[in-house]
Amino acid sequence: MSTAAPNPLRTHLAGITLESPLVLASGILGVTASTLAFAARAGAAAVTVKTCGLEPRKGHPGPAILPLRHGLLNAVGLSNPGVAAVVEELQEFRRRSAVPVFASIFGRTEEEFGEVAARMAEAQPDLLEVNVSCPNVASELGQPFGADEAAVARITARVKAAAGAIPVSIKLTIHCPSIERMARVCRDHGADVITAINTVGPGMHIDVPTARPVLSNREGGLSGAAILPLAVRAVYRIRAAVDLPVIGTGGVEDTDAALQLILAGAHAVGIGTGVWTRGAGIFQALRRGLEEHLAGRGLPDIAALRGLAHGT
Amino acid sequence: MAPEMRTRPVRRVVTHAADLKSFLLDRDMDPVPGQFALLWLPGVGEKPFSFSDVGDDFLEITVRAVGPFTRAMMGVVPGDLVGLRGPFGRGFRIGTGPALLAGGGCGIAPLRHLAGEMTRRGVDFEMVLGVRTAEELMFPDDFRAAGAHLMTEDGSLGTRGLVTDRLRELLSLGLHREVFASGPEGMLLAVRDLAEQHLLDWQLSFERYMKCGIGLCGHCAMDGTGIRMCVEGPVLSRSELRGVTDLGLPHRDATGARPRAMSRDRGTRC
Repeated sequence: MSTAAPNPLRTHLAGITLESPLVLASGILGVTASTLAFAARAGAAAVTVKTCGLEPRKGHPGPAILPLRHGLLNAVGLSNPGVAAVVEELQEFRRRSAVPVFASIFGRTEEEFGEVAARMAEAQPDLLEVNVSCPNVASELGQPFGADEAAVARITARVKAAAGAIPVSIKLTIHCPSIERMARVCRDHGADVITAINTVGPGMHIDVPTARPVLSNREGGLSGAAILPLAVRAVYRIRAAVDLPVIGTGGVEDTDAALQLILAGAHAVGIGTGVWTRGAGIFQALRRGLEEHLAGRGLPDIAALRGLAHGT
Repeated sequence: MAPEMRTRPVRRVVTHAADLKSFLLDRDMDPVPGQFALLWLPGVGEKPFSFSDVGDDFLEITVRAVGPFTRAMMGVVPGDLVGLRGPFGRGFRIGTGPALLAGGGCGIAPLRHLAGEMTRRGVDFEMVLGVRTAEELMFPDDFRAAGAHLMTEDGSLGTRGLVTDRLRELLSLGLHREVFASGPEGMLLAVRDLAEQHLLDWQLSFERYMKCGIGLCGHCAMDGTGIRMCVEGPVLSRSELRGVTDLGLPHRDATGARPRAMSRDRGTRC
């Protein structure tokens, strides 16, 4: 392809230009400027900094991430060096890379979401992603906010107020009474984007010989190919309910999976566990796969596929 | 795809000292010297360890008690169940020799595995091992029989001095073509500098805080290039180390933050 040819994978999301729909999901390689740069070099069109809160957190001790036949079970427990350190890493990444960077944040209280958003906004990320859906800290923080429409409404409004001109995405869980209603709540309180979905569960893996749950937290969120249908359905329902761009995340390990999420209505596709199953080369592999699919169907660009499943 | 964790009984325990033991486990994987596995002690936790030996039907892991997990390991007896998943990372790439192997402290473990593999392949090598005091050395009789140069800081075994003291002497003879090293980061960097002075290739085995072992969490990545010790490492050569900016600095902790003050290498991968 000549360099002058238009990039058929270029995607526009809340004013952000992405060179492809494929973005690095939160929690993967997002600890430092160097690992984010590593993912950007591997071909991620945007990178997401691992969820951070106000203070440093060690998270749960090992085993915190457990590879299983069906995917990954993880209870990392939101380990992070705190927003001040993450702001420095984000600024360092900015100096090194032109790839858009999303910042994922959480708070222990509704107020803290706003506070972390305000601190993070100083680093001017391209997008603030609000993690109201981590399943691994419920015992400590009460039920995840993501199941409570009133709480999500207040958190969305607080983060929006703190974010200034930075677009805000709310990262939803499937574990809520109605994901359509939740998406409308987000929209009505100012969300610019919806990210769906987080890991599902929690689930548990018991080692039979020792009769013990293996994760130190005993339970953890499930990710990987097994949750793709849950993500596809969630994105489909969100797109039908609200006219907001969606970052579809969950179980994307091949081109077909990315296409399913785009056909369901996703503007961008998050890749997380796929970095394990397919290696860091997954970004380039899926980029080629999407290009070949467009060429094979004679389509001019990726937007021609977006939401196509709704018309049938 | 990394295999699932599997629990199995400890077959044999070799006690070198009260705080230094080797554990023999049934073999169900084929690690290259320098690769590592995550060891799960039920009810206690999970930590990365390289193999100190791999036999036809066993895997051997050597542990020094330096923290809560490794102290708990000292209580493990034959028949106790432990979990293992791996192998992870890239190990040493064995060439044609003659090679010089340099090991310090806990870093000696993977060199025992490497020396065994080089012997099996008929690759010529010499070995220099250093510990602070005699009882910190695992398998001293095996290493002595293999003709290793043994160094102790207090002179309680072999020659008093540092690994690099003997390395300097051996390298000046010009008999070796490449250097393999495993040990504290300060020692690794000194070995690298010596090898560079003698225009030799080198491979060094590094340690970083490790969480997932499968290249996802990013905790074990080096600053500068972001290479992950659990996938691209832990054994790195000159070209692989290019662009890395955090050598000799305090390692990132469980939160992902880098401590501001210098701290001693904690080194649990022993």
